[in-house]
Amino acid sequence: MKRTLTFFNLLMIVYVVAPIILVVWMSFTPSMRFEVPIASFSLRWYQELFSYDAFIDSAWLSLRLGLLSALIATALGFLAAYGLVRGRPPGSAVLLGLFTAPLIVPAVVYGIAMLQFTNLVGLYGAFPALLAAHVVIVLPFAVRTLLAALEGQGPELEWAAMSLGARRRHAVLLVTLPLCLRGMVSAFLFCFLISFSEVTVTLFMAGPAHQTLPVRIFNYVSDRIDPTMAAVSALIVLVSVALVLVLNRLGALGTVRK
Amino acid sequence: MTGAAAGRAALGVRLGGGVWIFLGPALLLMLAVYLAPLIDTAVISLHPNTPAGIDRSHWTTANFLRLVDTYYWGVLVRTLRVSIIITLLSVLLAYPVAVWLAGLGPRGQTWAILVYMSPWFVNAVVKSFGWTLILGNNGLVNNGLRALGLIDTPLRLMLNETGIVIGLLPGHFLFVLLPLWAALKGLDGNLRWAAMTLGARPWQVFLRVTVPLTLPALLAGAIINFTMNMAAFAAPALLGGTRTRVLSFIAYQVNLEELNWPFGGALAVAMLVVTLGFVMLAQGITARGLAGPRR
Repeated sequence: MKRTLTFFNLLMIVYVVAPIILVVWMSFTPSMRFEVPIASFSLRWYQELFSYDAFIDSAWLSLRLGLLSALIATALGFLAAYGLVRGRPPGSAVLLGLFTAPLIVPAVVYGIAMLQFTNLVGLYGAFPALLAAHVVIVLPFAVRTLLAALEGQGPELEWAAMSLGARRRHAVLLVTLPLCLRGMVSAFLFCFLISFSEVTVTLFMAGPAHQTLPVRIFNYVSDRIDPTMAAVSALIVLVSVALVLVLNRLGALGTVRK
Repeated sequence: MTGAAAGRAALGVRLGGGVWIFLGPALLLMLAVYLAPLIDTAVISLHPNTPAGIDRSHWTTANFLRLVDTYYWGVLVRTLRVSIIITLLSVLLAYPVAVWLAGLGPRGQTWAILVYMSPWFVNAVVKSFGWTLILGNNGLVNNGLRALGLIDTPLRLMLNETGIVIGLLPGHFLFVLLPLWAALKGLDGNLRWAAMTLGARPWQVFLRVTVPLTLPALLAGAIINFTMNMAAFAAPALLGGTRTRVLSFIAYQVNLEELNWPFGGALAVAMLVVTLGFVMLAQGITARGLAGPRR
């Protein structure tokens, strides 16, 4: 019985990781065609990649978007989580529902809404609009991670600081924030990971001028493919796996559930 | 307790109205860049589309009535069929995986969960690209079968519904697996012991103790999984091909190629309403499952 289960799970694991492993493996092919290399390996598609301006642009855009949206969302998320945990204002549940709604509302729906809305307000294809959308998309992960971090420590140390004469903003900045450092780092990395992987909303609203890495691959795969794609994909896999391993060490992956 | 509370109030440690300074920035962002666009789209969906653009002076329900046109109805039925198949397969596969996971040591569980999570955190476009390498006419499977002399013409494994099911399942499977795994771990082991001491065989214990007790978690996960299947975009677009279009891809074409935003908006609103309905159902099941007399 136990053996059957293990065998079944090995098959399942092969199934779920096969496309990921294959893309990475494939990126080392020396051939022009899509062949999984067996005897000879080459880095030529990685070289090709760095002479490809469009991909370099996309990589920078993805990086900028990821870092900025993670930074803003972590800051907003900390403030919001602090307000929810320490303030418990009326309607807390509704607010939390709003902050985490992007987890539930399909990306296609939000993508359409942002396409139409940015056109309405004259910001279609503008970087700030795209950035704002990414902040919205990653905010749930920041709020959840930081809620967990803040709930994990009582308010007593803050009270102590305030009873000794600190103003609230000093108590928050000098006492609470350092105590939440692990949560802040987790939130930031989590947000970056989500922004870095985002395809749908970006594809709908970003316009041709702002193609992030995944959007570039999407448009590219739709008409023509060569192994450069595998090299880009392998780099994306590398970044994602590295981030997830760090997040796992930080114990931050529990917030994935919907 | 009240004395302490009064003391805190006197110290100024209670947040009071100051709470809005903390909640304000995120709230403003969500109102301006989230709720406003969604409401705008809902409003647009109720206006007619004219050659000159959206006619904001007239109101109509025609965009929603068009959803039941034969063509779109067919797309909706296909999307439903594919989504339900993925959900059913996920439910079937979830028990053997969750039971196996729950039987591993803590370290083993962490690593196995990470592996099962990998299709979730690796970009959908990258994964779909990987699937084309496996399922395409010159992909790993077809080349392998040809080399073995088992087939002459390649099997059509993608650019059809099969491709969408194979490609979407791993990433969405997680949302059935995680709640089920949590429920299994939370199960009181004594219940199973009790059943066994009363003479139940292992499969009877599984079917009559484990399954009923974990059913709410499984059901809630299945519903979430279903809504994700219905709304998925990138993988179905890349693995379904030009003939096997699902709802989300039609929404893309209508909004970005035909530029018919009122109808595109109606598609978005329909997807939103259906998704919210199902999610509320799932939350209801979870809440009842936790509060019910069985625990």
